[in-house]
Amino acid sequence: MNSFAYRAEPRLARPNGWWGIAVFVATEATLFGTLVGTYFFLRFDSAKWPPPGVPEPKLTLPIVLTGVLVATSIPVQLSVRAASRGRLGAARAALLLAAVVQAGYLAMQLHLFVHDSHEFPPSGSAYSSIYFTMLGAHDLHVLVGILLSLFILLRTASGLTEYRLTGLRATAFYWHFVNALAIAVVLTQLSPRL
Amino acid sequence: MAATVTEPGLERVRRLETIWDEPHGVLGWLTTTDHKRIGLLYFFTTLVFFGAGGVEALLMRTQLSQANEKVLSPETYDQLMTMHGVTMIFLFVIPMTIGAFGNYLVPLMIGARDMAFPRMNALSYWLFLFSGVFIYVGLFMHAAPNAGWFNYVPLALKPYNPGRNIDFYALGLIFNSVSSTAAAINFIVTIFKLRAPGMSMNRMPLFIFAMLAVSLSLIFALPSLTTDLVFLELQRNAGFHFFDVAHGGSPLLWQHLFWLFGHPEVYIIILPAMGIATSIIPTFAKRKMVAFPLVALAELLVAFIGFGVWAHHMFATGLPTIQLVFFAAASMMVVIPSSIQIYAWTITVNLGRPDFRAPLMFIGGFIAFFVLGGLSGIMFAAIPFDQATTDTYFVVAHFHFIIFGAAVFPILGGMYYWFPKVTGRMYHEGVAKASFWLAFVGTALTFFPMHMLGLLGMTRRIYTYPNGMGWGAYNLSETIGAFILTAGLLMIFANLAYSRFRGPAAGPDPFGGGTLEWSTTSPPPHYNFPVIPVVRSAYPNWDREDREADRARLRRGELVFDEGHETPAATVVDAVPDEVLEMPSESPWPLVLSVCTAGLFVMLLVRHYVVAGVFALLALLVLAAWHWKEPEEE
Repeated sequence: MNSFAYRAEPRLARPNGWWGIAVFVATEATLFGTLVGTYFFLRFDSAKWPPPGVPEPKLTLPIVLTGVLVATSIPVQLSVRAASRGRLGAARAALLLAAVVQAGYLAMQLHLFVHDSHEFPPSGSAYSSIYFTMLGAHDLHVLVGILLSLFILLRTASGLTEYRLTGLRATAFYWHFVNALAIAVVLTQLSPRL
Repeated sequence: MAATVTEPGLERVRRLETIWDEPHGVLGWLTTTDHKRIGLLYFFTTLVFFGAGGVEALLMRTQLSQANEKVLSPETYDQLMTMHGVTMIFLFVIPMTIGAFGNYLVPLMIGARDMAFPRMNALSYWLFLFSGVFIYVGLFMHAAPNAGWFNYVPLALKPYNPGRNIDFYALGLIFNSVSSTAAAINFIVTIFKLRAPGMSMNRMPLFIFAMLAVSLSLIFALPSLTTDLVFLELQRNAGFHFFDVAHGGSPLLWQHLFWLFGHPEVYIIILPAMGIATSIIPTFAKRKMVAFPLVALAELLVAFIGFGVWAHHMFATGLPTIQLVFFAAASMMVVIPSSIQIYAWTITVNLGRPDFRAPLMFIGGFIAFFVLGGLSGIMFAAIPFDQATTDTYFVVAHFHFIIFGAAVFPILGGMYYWFPKVTGRMYHEGVAKASFWLAFVGTALTFFPMHMLGLLGMTRRIYTYPNGMGWGAYNLSETIGAFILTAGLLMIFANLAYSRFRGPAAGPDPFGGGTLEWSTTSPPPHYNFPVIPVVRSAYPNWDREDREADRARLRRGELVFDEGHETPAATVVDAVPDEVLEMPSESPWPLVLSVCTAGLFVMLLVRHYVVAGVFALLALLVLAAWHWKEPEEE
């Protein structure tokens, strides 16, 4: 019976792995939603935000850094495109380029994190608590993304399979999400200056 | 089915047997990815926790049976009360309905051979088991959570609660959330992608709609709890400030985040019960559910509205009036989808030819208790009434009728209903009916007098009370009720345990059920169906011609997939056949990863952060090893 011809080419629906990462991203986005919600809940309860003695957030550097991170979505997506056309070398090069930039971003972020935590430690006030919690959660997501990319680079060293392509797609999906998150986080944290 | 299978068909079935076989003995259970075995593991584990939660309840009821009783010290009472709530919600009802019933039944009902991510399914179970053990270790160290299941600050903060009690709570529930999140993702993808050919969204069984609604709720509710618990741990152990006013925090932040999770959680508890009811009623009323699309929408709507009503738990906290009114109105709205379902259930029974066997009787008890608890629920939406009765036993009465009477009765009915499917044997009908009446009377006697006590001013969470308040008789009858209820529950389990070994053979479909799990043998084989069924209605097992066509397909070798460890996938909305998936088989990694995760949480508890980091690294290595071997290579 033709109506049960399986293995349709091209596939009609997205693979299970894509759906899995999509639902995972939905729950992660909700997690950051509660962090942003907490930020504004605490802010609207305060007379002065940031509280006295805490410097206002710097504008230029965080915006530039976020711009750099968001730009890595381009090589990540190019990597998926190349891989789905069978050009494995180009795909790995693009993913590696993105990972290097992302690692640089993370290093810079950690440096700023340590620097800021000397200036206004998280135990100082509710403002600095939510500030550093949100920042730390975001940095952790960048780290997970880098680890995912490295794993895909490692696996694709011995060639490309359908399974690895789905893995690359899922990683790319996750990176686009993390980058969108970076915008949300930086806008929230700079909001006292905007 | 085997009797009608011809020679080539038999050959194919034998091939499936070999392909889907799993290791025997203990090792088989430790590495299993079979959703039915994982469902059974969930079932027995949650039963143990149910027993523990029940003993805690009986101890509390004994302490409260009369004034100035001294069975329990105040400290022990606080721990038992908190553990009772945490156990029944996180370690019994949710893992029982989603983990046990959901795991066992969802793939069978949608005509699949396993869940979408079988190893992640095993991971959910092992994480759940270890998180439960983690929380209970606290009880045995006399350091169990002791600030109530909703764990309000400032009571839960370090200055007022310096021990490890609250750390067991916070870390244990984060641990537990990881398990629930993995399970919810798995159910959503399974329901979206693995339905049998022809089972378009509008032909999904109502139980599947309920499980989908629950999984979506979990995905969007749990992050709020996780955030709250992380804040709490950071404040308790790292000097952060989220909840104390002196440093710009707010104790209400805890309550908002908690109930933003906690109210959807209530519907997460009740929705599977509704799903079980919509499975049992059509079978014994011998007709399809009336208003099928409305009931499906109502199930989804309950989950959706559940996210907009959380502040009705906070009417007494001094929120601005405009917020109170909004949340009161939203809470009233829950009546609409609930009533749609109550009418649909009762009208289906009335229009059919109901056969009141034990499972349907439990659903009758469920509807009675759901109406009772629902009516007191509507009363709380009236803000002045809520403010007068908040923190009294009236509230305790309300939510026990909902989360015991309404949520657990369908679980009990469901145990009887699917027992023949799981074991291949019948339970004893007479004993089952007697056990229903015991449980029904026990429940009413335990929880109904709590309404009166609440109106008489007895506050919840007190470990004892003085003479002369006029509370003694009500309290004593509740305690007697609790023991009658326990007798009823023991009778159920005795009936099932005895019938498991001595019950008469049940056959594939003893009740004439309409959904696909009744079309395969009892118990189902590892591969569930020798041939993937093709579906044309929401009650496919009542479409005799279609099931005949399945058997013909087995003879011709179509949709048998006997060349590998395979299950078909379909498109999301219309269930058009799309691809054949190579499914992973048994694996040690889920258990190993869970052990590493448990190590991580234990080290966080004892604050050895470096060792905790080592466990996190180990977990990452295990994840890498897990994904190293690919299905194509197997």
